[in-house]
Amino acid sequence: MLQYGTKIVAGVTPGKGGTEVYGVPVYDTVADAVKEHEADASIIFVPARFAPDAVYEAVDAGIKLIVVITEHIPIIETAKMIKYAKMKGARIIGPNCPGIINPENSLVGILPPRAFRKGKVGIVSRSGTLTYEVSELIKKELGQSTVIGIGGDPIIGTDMVEVVKAFDEDPETEYIVVIGEIGGTMEERVAQLKKKGLIKKKMVGYIAGLTAPREKRMGHAGAVVYMGMGTFESKVKALKEAGIPVANTPYEIKDILLSL
Amino acid sequence: MRLYEYEGKELFKMVGIKVPKGVITSEPIKWEGKAVVKSQLLEGARGKRGLVRVTDDVYNTILELKKLGIQKFLVEEYIPHSKELYLSALIDRDTGDPLIAASPEGGIDIESSTNVKTFRIPLERGVKTYDVIAIEKYLGVKGLEPFIKGLYSLVVDYNAELAEINPLAVLDNGNLVALDSKVILDDNALYLHEDLLKKFNRQEQVESLVELGGDIGIVGNGAGLTMATMDMVKLSGGNPADFYDIGGGAGREKVREALLKVASLPGVTRVFMNIYGGITRCDEVAIGIVNALNELEKQGKKIKVYVRLVGTNEEEGWRILKEHNIPVYQDFKTLLGEALRS
Repeated sequence: MLQYGTKIVAGVTPGKGGTEVYGVPVYDTVADAVKEHEADASIIFVPARFAPDAVYEAVDAGIKLIVVITEHIPIIETAKMIKYAKMKGARIIGPNCPGIINPENSLVGILPPRAFRKGKVGIVSRSGTLTYEVSELIKKELGQSTVIGIGGDPIIGTDMVEVVKAFDEDPETEYIVVIGEIGGTMEERVAQLKKKGLIKKKMVGYIAGLTAPREKRMGHAGAVVYMGMGTFESKVKALKEAGIPVANTPYEIKDILLSL
Repeated sequence: MRLYEYEGKELFKMVGIKVPKGVITSEPIKWEGKAVVKSQLLEGARGKRGLVRVTDDVYNTILELKKLGIQKFLVEEYIPHSKELYLSALIDRDTGDPLIAASPEGGIDIESSTNVKTFRIPLERGVKTYDVIAIEKYLGVKGLEPFIKGLYSLVVDYNAELAEINPLAVLDNGNLVALDSKVILDDNALYLHEDLLKKFNRQEQVESLVELGGDIGIVGNGAGLTMATMDMVKLSGGNPADFYDIGGGAGREKVREALLKVASLPGVTRVFMNIYGGITRCDEVAIGIVNALNELEKQGKKIKVYVRLVGTNEEEGWRILKEHNIPVYQDFKTLLGEALRS
């Protein structure tokens, strides 16, 4: 992140206060850090059992954007911490996400810089590596405006609908790519917005999990179909009915974008 | 983690949900009168497969079922009833609040039911009397409170992702009994319930593997990429044997373990790997693959592995794989084309 130009003003690790890492000062608490520095965002790499505490700490210190990379936080804990953050006016991205990148400007996350070049496609995705794959495929011809991995958990702080709306208003974004997967109803809700004409920009969709069996968790805690909700078929149908072309493979996303 | 029916019913009892009187056994037992013998399996559709039997002869029924390879049985009193309902609790992914799902048609596959209604219970306040009244009115019964509160508690206090009663029997006298249980616990929260795991003699395990029954093993890093990989194999006419996500930042040990596991699945002769290294290092992946293949060779197993590998330290990864004559590609489409033809 430092190499990419992100201005990291401080790190926080209890017990390590007063030390430095790559020239960045480390504090015992977020409160100590924000006393000395102005911080707009926080990124959390803390192990799952302690990650919710780190989120509460950042919220209480007044941080308004919190990116949670950590995977394996219990669902109910995630639900509680997201409710708390919302109540306090803070936005969480994740958990279980690779973060956010504005190519050639800033990176808050673990997305590998090699896949990105400044350009015109906004990508929102529930997956990490699949996002890198698609980004790299469109890097040469199109590039990306901003790429957000919103996370693979069933409950996340910032959903696809919010990101798509933001892309629609973002002057740097010309096309919007939605990379979804089975489980939940976010993709369906995005499709409804498009159908109602509330999203003006051209979109392309892709859904992973065509061959996934029901009630089996496919790696991500959120990639699971319970009670028939959020199947592959329901998502593809919703997107198509909204006039959003759906790619059969990640490779097709580029071809469709170039043909729009 | 999906629980067995009898384990789910143990939890039901703990949260005040009424279940039939029963015993768990692995051997034939004597039983007075009519009973239901229920094979304990994690897969559904036991009824359709004849693995749940109403009988006056418990002893011989268990003997017969044992011949089919069933190892554990729940024997319960037979409960005559006039009506079956559906009731479950899970977390609403959009709001983070628990939902109670209810249907006046129980005992059937809930996916095909058209009259499931959901009731949202905000996490901040929990179940209130007026929630109970609304659900009772919808189902046309009384006495639901302990069932609703129990299911809610399973989600909130026991970290169940899904707690389901299907069917919920309505007796002639109006009493309610949970005849079946389906409880799936949040894998990420199992560390909070070590006492339960101990009681059920179950182990906390990370389920990275989902079996699909085909002949082409699939290993990828990241859930989305791995799913996309198995989908592409299927779309190109191949049959995926599994889904295996090695996760982010996997080292050689994890890769070795994954490949050995997938190679051991019945019918697998080829494994396709799709790796995009971000925090995962390609050289570590390559070493893991080589180590696994060495082991397979020692076991005398012939498995062909095709690897798509790009990202962090890719050149070192390619070098290691080429040194061992393992086909390596930079593009999965090319891999598919060549590997499916061979």
